[in-house]
Amino acid sequence: MSADITVVAPVTGTVITMAEVPDPVFSAELVGPGLAIDPDPVLGRDVRSPIDGTVVKLHPHAFVVQAADGRGVLVHLGINTVQLDGQGFSLTVAEGDQVAAGQVLIQWDIEAIAETGRSVICPVVALDAKPDAIDLHAAPGSHVTSESTLLEWGA
Amino acid sequence: MVDPQKILDGLGGDANIVDLEPCITRLRVEVEDPAQVNESMLKAAGAIAVMKSGSVVQVIVGMQADTIAADIEDLR
Repeated sequence: MSADITVVAPVTGTVITMAEVPDPVFSAELVGPGLAIDPDPVLGRDVRSPIDGTVVKLHPHAFVVQAADGRGVLVHLGINTVQLDGQGFSLTVAEGDQVAAGQVLIQWDIEAIAETGRSVICPVVALDAKPDAIDLHAAPGSHVTSESTLLEWGA
Repeated sequence: MVDPQKILDGLGGDANIVDLEPCITRLRVEVEDPAQVNESMLKAAGAIAVMKSGSVVQVIVGMQADTIAADIEDLR
């Protein structure tokens, strides 16, 4: 039996709907449903784990934390940021590390990345989740921190 | 399951690929000639979706993107 997963906000900022993410893959929820955050340029610099689990994928600009039951949450820092080759990002954990929700995994220079002309919107995706398994807690337009529950992912 | 050989074929083969990079759930591929990219072949090979924008093709394959990219590199 697996329990509900509480997904907290990985960055401080303002919640937006996935449909508003300027990327066709995320906005159509092709890899899963979720919410996105428009990060605060200063307070959003610390990127925190959205759940308790293992860092199974770690790129400078994106990562996946997998819960004990195998479900994974993807956090993508900005759009088309893979092209930056890690510039503007510093990692504080390694792939395979066990992390707790709220633990800092990455720090990023939001202002410098925004200056490259890229969107700094951060999609938070419940990978391969059925849309009806997701209970959105944070309303679009609301301000969130790592203390805030973004969504609950039902078992 | 995604078939790496069919993905490679659907992208127009080795000669058509300028750069291929996995990004967690997708393959980002820069191609020589976008007209040689066969979307229906890519979907038949297991892709969830295909997004084309100029010479960049994104093949959405889900969480196993890194593995598939490594398999494709082995075939090239």
